[in-house]
Amino acid sequence: MAFQTRRKYCFFKENNIIEIDYKDVKLLKRFINDNGKIMPRRVTGTSAKMHRKVVSAIKRARTIGLMPFIDNGSE
Amino acid sequence: MRYYEILYIVNPNFERKKLDETMKEIDNRLTETKSKIINHIIWGKKKLAYPMQGHKYGTYILVHYQGGNKDKLNEFDSWLKLSDLVIRHMIVRIEKEPDVLEKVDNEASIKEKEDLKSDKDKSSDDVKDKISKEKNDEETEGVE
Repeated sequence: MAFQTRRKYCFFKENNIIEIDYKDVKLLKRFINDNGKIMPRRVTGTSAKMHRKVVSAIKRARTIGLMPFIDNGSE
Repeated sequence: MRYYEILYIVNPNFERKKLDETMKEIDNRLTETKSKIINHIIWGKKKLAYPMQGHKYGTYILVHYQGGNKDKLNEFDSWLKLSDLVIRHMIVRIEKEPDVLEKVDNEASIKEKEDLKSDKDKSSDDVKDKISKEKNDEETEGVE
């Protein structure tokens, strides 16, 4: 089996989501890795327009304590 | 007129009385700025992603309002920042007029959120559904 690249597609275009709410943590968690870092567009396949919105939403969620800045597992 | 949203965190150990007092205080301060309050609800007690001022949990309260006097709103913002009642707050402008949310009985909503929270951390929705289904099955079997 040769390398088969999965075709990436914008999550928001597939689901017809236009606006992103910073309070929707469940949605935003798709776009961070285990350490709480925002994943790059080349990994998630999000369109540039929506990626900008995701980034600002995650940053808002971080300031109000809904999402971690760093998640290193220490509780 | 612009619409705004405030999400603020209050000490989770506040009793119902103290919570109502803080909400009233914020209501009064907002009405002083000639703003129209659309929603003011308790969003629930949640675990903070990182500790703030020594707190691991916080009660989130959500306000929607239509902006009034700009200078007075700036004053209100700085008052919130200096106030001891609020651990942290964030004011965000929203583009569309917010829907009027139902005022659920506050204590009930807090309890619901607490119940949900324990499941939330562990798994996604699908798994949660499965677990709840399994639980239901077990219960019904027990009854039989």
